[in-house]
Amino acid sequence: MNPRLINWIWHIRGSVPLPSLQDPDESFDRLAPLFEERGTRWDRQGKMLTFSKTDQAPQDKMSVFDSGVLTIESGSDGRKLRYDLISRALLFCFLAPLLFLGIAQATVAISDHRVAAAKAEEGAHPKKDKPKKKPLPMSAFDKALGAPAPDSPDKKKPDEDKNRISATPAYVFASIFAALYIIGRILESVLIHSLFKRRLNGTERSKDTADIFIRKTAS
Amino acid sequence: MSGVRVGNRIIGAQSPVTVGWENVPKVEGGALKQFVFSWFQPVVLFALIAFWFYAPNSIAKASTAIGIGIGFKALLLALEWVNPRFDSWRLTWKEAVTDLFYVGLGYTVIRMAGNFIGDDVMIENVQQFLHWDKVSWFMTLPLLVQAFLISFIFDFGQYWMHRGMHNWHPLWLTHAPHHYITQLNINKGAVGNPVELFLIGLGVGGFFDFLPRAALLAGTFGLAVGTYQHINVRFNSPRWWRFLFNTTEHHSVHHSQDYEASRSNFAGTWIVIDRIFGTCVDGEAELLGMEGGRRMSIPETMAYPFSEGWKSIKQRIGRSVDDDEPSAMPAE
Repeated sequence: MNPRLINWIWHIRGSVPLPSLQDPDESFDRLAPLFEERGTRWDRQGKMLTFSKTDQAPQDKMSVFDSGVLTIESGSDGRKLRYDLISRALLFCFLAPLLFLGIAQATVAISDHRVAAAKAEEGAHPKKDKPKKKPLPMSAFDKALGAPAPDSPDKKKPDEDKNRISATPAYVFASIFAALYIIGRILESVLIHSLFKRRLNGTERSKDTADIFIRKTAS
Repeated sequence: MSGVRVGNRIIGAQSPVTVGWENVPKVEGGALKQFVFSWFQPVVLFALIAFWFYAPNSIAKASTAIGIGIGFKALLLALEWVNPRFDSWRLTWKEAVTDLFYVGLGYTVIRMAGNFIGDDVMIENVQQFLHWDKVSWFMTLPLLVQAFLISFIFDFGQYWMHRGMHNWHPLWLTHAPHHYITQLNINKGAVGNPVELFLIGLGVGGFFDFLPRAALLAGTFGLAVGTYQHINVRFNSPRWWRFLFNTTEHHSVHHSQDYEASRSNFAGTWIVIDRIFGTCVDGEAELLGMEGGRRMSIPETMAYPFSEGWKSIKQRIGRSVDDDEPSAMPAE
């Protein structure tokens, strides 16, 4: 099976046309600051640059990527930078819905078991009818300020509801991560393309002082 | 770096920390922006208190509180874009995913564990064992007093648990992963090892009987004050607010890469508790984290207390062997 059929999940590939008259050395020189980050190792050999990152801080502009290969290729339409970047975060986000669906299934099973165990317990030791509870007190101060009187305590949830654990949050998070994956797969692809393009064309806005400050202190 | 003397301590000797409110920057921009970011915090707090005080019983429910909490956090996320405190703290997609993963664990696995081994279960067992009743006179107090006491007593416990985590190695191992965050964003409070998240959630509230509405009001302090611990928004918080309540400024100092600064501002909501015990440092820090800003991955966060705990045990056993060594040495 062609690995590309599935590895698009965590790979981001693309290309950026290089400005005419820009040689490979100059192109990589322009990209070099992106790799001078904490936890980044990189190697330049001719028309190829490889890098890998560990424990990269979110302040690193390429923090979403863990490794990658950048090559400069010549074609009939000029030179271009081709990149193939690997992101474990994308893979993690792709798999996260499965994890939360698993948690949902486990929650349902545990909840059912808890309800059944409580019922069995009640069957073995039937609870005596509880005496009617007194109405909840209300301070005169709250009455004067117009707060609503508390409900009768007998209105509380039945015991079975108390033993049930809702699986809804797990389903909600499974959906959130599915949506986040789609957003991230598109967004990170656009962002890295635009970052490389701006760097290569020299149009990247000057870094704000916070970035410079952090990099200086980290180095 | 020379640092600044605060009491007996030198703050900011290892990493930059701004000390003193007069040195903390204000909100920049037009009059409207300054107005909004000066009044937002107190207006939201008082509006939520009024809402929970007067809402009919059919609305004053936990599900409404969850809905308001989610909506409020979404609004704060938007404010992070409009008026960030630091550009270097801007939320990235990867950070959002990571933070939400921990939030998800909190809403699912940790909540489920709480059903079996949480503080309510423990307190119920203690009460049954000692034949104690809940402290019911608490319910006769005015709602706002009940709410304040619930919030303050919980935070008081949390202060000591948190301070214990910074002072006792086994507890520190559970808390350390949370200190590897290098920026503050709205869901960063959830980032950490699940054992720590479970421990920090323990409270003594189960010993008291209080009105459900008082619990909702107490939750408002957590939402409309505690949430600002981890957020990338600059506010001009009023002077009284900064005196009573924890702020992003305080909590950024706590997360600073400076060791002494990180041993301050332990309270979650009521910074006045830190003032009482002399651990408060008023100020702000931008450079956060541990080991010079190394980001801790999710697998390492999950394993850290156990892997580091195992290393510590081995080291201790090794040290005790070393301690015995001199006795095995031949006498001169």
